[in-house]
Amino acid sequence: MDSIGLIREFLEERLGVAPETVVAEAPLGELGVDSLMMLELIFEFEDRFGVKLSKDLKSPRTVGEMVSLMDRLRSQQP
Amino acid sequence: MSQRRVAITGLGLVSPYGGDLADFFGRLLAGESAVRFLQTEDIPRPLAMPFVSCPAFDAEASLGRPLAGTMDRFAQLGTAAAFSAWADAGLACGQPAENGENRERWGVSWGTALGGTLAYEKGYKELWIKGRERISPLSVILGMNNAANAHISIQLGLGGVSMSHTVACASSAIAIGEAFRRVRSGEAPVMLTGGSDVPQAYGVARAWEALRVLASGDEKTAPRACRPFSADRDGLVLGEGGAALVLEDWEHAVARGARIHGELIGYGTTCDHSHLVRPEAAGQVRALHLALADGGLSPADIDYVNAHGTATAEGDPVEIAALKTVFGDAAGRLAVSGTKSMHGHQLGAAGAVEAIVTVLALREQAIPPTAHLAELDPACAGVDHVTAARHGQPLRAALSNSFAFGGSNAVLAFRAVAP
Repeated sequence: MDSIGLIREFLEERLGVAPETVVAEAPLGELGVDSLMMLELIFEFEDRFGVKLSKDLKSPRTVGEMVSLMDRLRSQQP
Repeated sequence: MSQRRVAITGLGLVSPYGGDLADFFGRLLAGESAVRFLQTEDIPRPLAMPFVSCPAFDAEASLGRPLAGTMDRFAQLGTAAAFSAWADAGLACGQPAENGENRERWGVSWGTALGGTLAYEKGYKELWIKGRERISPLSVILGMNNAANAHISIQLGLGGVSMSHTVACASSAIAIGEAFRRVRSGEAPVMLTGGSDVPQAYGVARAWEALRVLASGDEKTAPRACRPFSADRDGLVLGEGGAALVLEDWEHAVARGARIHGELIGYGTTCDHSHLVRPEAAGQVRALHLALADGGLSPADIDYVNAHGTATAEGDPVEIAALKTVFGDAAGRLAVSGTKSMHGHQLGAAGAVEAIVTVLALREQAIPPTAHLAELDPACAGVDHVTAARHGQPLRAALSNSFAFGGSNAVLAFRAVAP
């Protein structure tokens, strides 16, 4: 699964967000992702892709920023 | 500051029968048990015991998926019950700014004996059984004991006190009593109160089993497993549940034209200060006297007592002894019933469920029975045990007893209001 697929699946399962509304420019906050849900999303991402985000990570603002962050981390995997 | 009268303007619960409040009370009057045989899929040894569940409860349908996903089941049951009581009181959900009310002094007082034990148990399984290094970051907020009252305050926009009381089986009776004091003193015009608990966590249910106080039963016998005051009683039946009441300054309630179900007039709480699990009549007697005095009542004013009545060997005779001490020669005419025989023991929700039963008994002028009481234990004799629904006996005031492990006792006194 690609990064946007994971975000769509997560938001649909947890918040009932329609996958077609999860587009690059959509602000995560407007989709219902508050600070707690962001922790869960990061946790899910780390689990599924076997990567670890640093604790001082700057929280992404939009779906596109989250996808970029995920893609970058995955590409750095050995 | 003069004391305010405290109106009960909202009642709500998640019923184990699956229906609404009227359905719940109707089934209690009919003597219908909600106890069923629970068999889980835990490996290697499933839980297998009489139990009361709320199988029809759909948290996502009641609360919406995003909210339900940030709660352990005890908070889901509690918040759903709170929403139900709030709607029953004719109060709008949502933030105060949306409806013009100032709710900065309105509060929540909640009872839970266990808190979010399912969340913690899930974490233990992840760490110890699955060998994972870490668990969900939501675990803390799912598990914390004040999760239910915190969610309720946030969802209803209540800016006053938001507190949880953990006093074993008396948790929600004490939560109601403490809420009552805040409304009566004028500190809060409205308090949402009640309790919720979910004892299905494997370790929790096994711990209760180890205490040897649970009733036995199978698929066939489970509905009759809880038999308070009966000669053949066999112990208590655990259950999950959530129940809530809206307490309101009487004048505030009248001014907004609210329906008043009944009046909460007295609260007494004490500690036996003698033993962790062996109850003592003297402590219960003091709680009963305190509640009566607090409400300006004499024993002759009381027409019904909803007993703590868990159906344990030790607890039932002690409670009856306490009632006989307080009511003296009149005890034989005192109507008493133990409705845990039907709705089970919901631990931190029990006091709130039974407060609701007591208020409905006064409102409907009808007493639900102690079910399955065929042969009275002579040690429990001396009061008027109600063994079939009783209608037509005037009910002016009533008590609800809650007596907890740890020796904490709580008694609530209610008065009927003219229809």
